[in-house]
Amino acid sequence: MSLTETVPQARRRDLRIPLAVVLIVVALAAPYIGSRYVTHSLIIALIFMLPAHGLNLLVGYTGLLSLAQAAFFGIGAYTAGLLAVNYGTPFYVNLIAAALVSGAAALPLGIPALRLRSTSFVMCTLGFVIIGQAIAKNWVSVTRGDMGLSSIPKPYFELGPLSFTVSGTTNFYYLALAVGVLATLAVWAIVRSPAGRNMVAIRENETLAESLGVPTWHYKLIVFMISAMFAGVGGCLYAHYLTVVSPLTFQMYYSTTMLIIVLGGGAGMISGTVFGSLLFVGLTEALRVAPEVRMIAYGACLLVLVFWFKQGFAPLINRFWNAIGGVK
Amino acid sequence: MNAHLPLLEIRNLSKSYGAVKAVNDVSIHIDRGEIAGLIGPNGSGKSTFFDCSTGLARPDTGTVILDGQDITGWSLNRIAREGRMLRSFQKTVTFKSLDAEENLVIAGQMFTFPSIAATFGLGKLSRSRIEGLRERARELIKMAGLWDVRHQPAGNLSGGQQKLIQFASMLMPEPKLILLDEPMAGINPKIIERVVDTILYANKSLGVSFLVIEHNIDVVTSICQRVVVLDQGSKLVEGLAHDIIQDQRVREAYLGG
Ligand SMILES: Nc1ncnc2c1ncn2[C@@H]1O[C@H](COP(=O)(O)OP(=O)(O)OP(=O)(O)O)[C@@H](O)[C@H]1O
Ligand SMILES: [Mg+2]
Repeated sequence: MSLTETVPQARRRDLRIPLAVVLIVVALAAPYIGSRYVTHSLIIALIFMLPAHGLNLLVGYTGLLSLAQAAFFGIGAYTAGLLAVNYGTPFYVNLIAAALVSGAAALPLGIPALRLRSTSFVMCTLGFVIIGQAIAKNWVSVTRGDMGLSSIPKPYFELGPLSFTVSGTTNFYYLALAVGVLATLAVWAIVRSPAGRNMVAIRENETLAESLGVPTWHYKLIVFMISAMFAGVGGCLYAHYLTVVSPLTFQMYYSTTMLIIVLGGGAGMISGTVFGSLLFVGLTEALRVAPEVRMIAYGACLLVLVFWFKQGFAPLINRFWNAIGGVK
Repeated sequence: MNAHLPLLEIRNLSKSYGAVKAVNDVSIHIDRGEIAGLIGPNGSGKSTFFDCSTGLARPDTGTVILDGQDITGWSLNRIAREGRMLRSFQKTVTFKSLDAEENLVIAGQMFTFPSIAATFGLGKLSRSRIEGLRERARELIKMAGLWDVRHQPAGNLSGGQQKLIQFASMLMPEPKLILLDEPMAGINPKIIERVVDTILYANKSLGVSFLVIEHNIDVVTSICQRVVVLDQGSKLVEGLAHDIIQDQRVREAYLGG
């Protein structure tokens, strides 16, 4: 008989709630704790977290590797920018419009692309980013070509008699945080629903799912559109934050960044995407002040991932979370 | 409905892969409540016949009529969902990173939720539907003898245990007809008995009809009333199991193949 059987394991205190409280307080007080530059970095992380959430639904849950997120991000940014510049519409209108236009654009793109097998699908989605950039460059009458849209107004709200403008880094941070939290909850709701279970079934074995009555083609198309909507919301925040949108918003670098967030954070885990955004975008943005170190740190981080954490960081986070909860 | 008609009727089905005539003008029918067998040497077109009947592959010619309805050209998922004709695969497949219970819940979802949109719901109705599926899943898991391993990822289980998960999954949606592709291949004799028992239970108590591809001739004679023999894509003979195994042509086909 071993010792562990006779001696009851002292159950450690559950530290999860205190930690969660600390994290919430830090998130809320961040602009007052760190410098303006830290706040800026966090905003960029929150903006990129949105397309990454969408991508996680696609790659992590449904098993479809896509490089098209930057295209839908760009479409969302242009939609919000054009509305704000031309019509001075309130922020929430721009946000909803960006989501809807990006989601709608995903329909005609997804229908042919999703018929392709894995590698061809990836190549096809890469094409969307290039096409998006070409359209943004050449549809001059609407997009103003290479000049892009500039002086996009600050987010503006109109709630009944009340109207206000979100100005300043700190206020924008709270807006981005609110959108980020809502989006995270939306992803959580989707993956917890029966549809989320069907998505995982498609990832695990598409033919088996199909043979059990799951219309896999419809689900893949719907998830592709939902993921584009998340990217569109991110694009809207991006346009309002940077106040400029140019054809360069459609760039492969953004798609790969979003992919690194998802895979590095831990595909198929929501906490992974949140953590990945902070690590890969927030940190690199914060390290911009030290350009010599920045790319080296980024590269080192990726190497560590590839060699030691093939599943991304999320399993590590989960283990830590369980450990402080006194589980096992 | 249409009680006098056969449950499944397949007429003149043919399918070629390049120069290979995998299935050549085969017609069969399955009666209500029947367990029928489909046998034949390796490469005789049995799996291809399944693929073409269930919508996984498109037949070149032929008609598939299920319960009086022409379902030729329907997709695999639609035949499963609307036709309630399910099939297993020769190569055992499960959702490997999920446990037995989740595997079975997935199998029942599309038969419980009325639309794709409804599956995105998280409300009370959605939760109670899933709870109902979980209860049914647990019953079937118990019956399949998988209770002790129900929390293990399916991919960690033995081939035989995965076959049982696959089989139990097909019972989730209250099917009319199940097509089994070599349910006994590569599993130990103890599990063979359990699979046989489960097939008989599903047939007697749940009223499910079966068409079973099987190389184990003892199993075929013990559960099947009628047997169809395929050889090189064509139907060789059809008859009662006991007569078939005595048939000279069948013996030659197996020895020659
Ligand atoms: N997808 C495919 N592409 C090309 N040829 C195929 C395909 N599927 C089956 N075939 C060919 O069709 C013929 C029938 O194969 P099938 O798998 O239906 O036989 P089977 O009776 O199930 O054999 P076994 O008992 O070995 O499972 C074989 O010659 C096979 O090579
Ligand atoms: Mg076969």
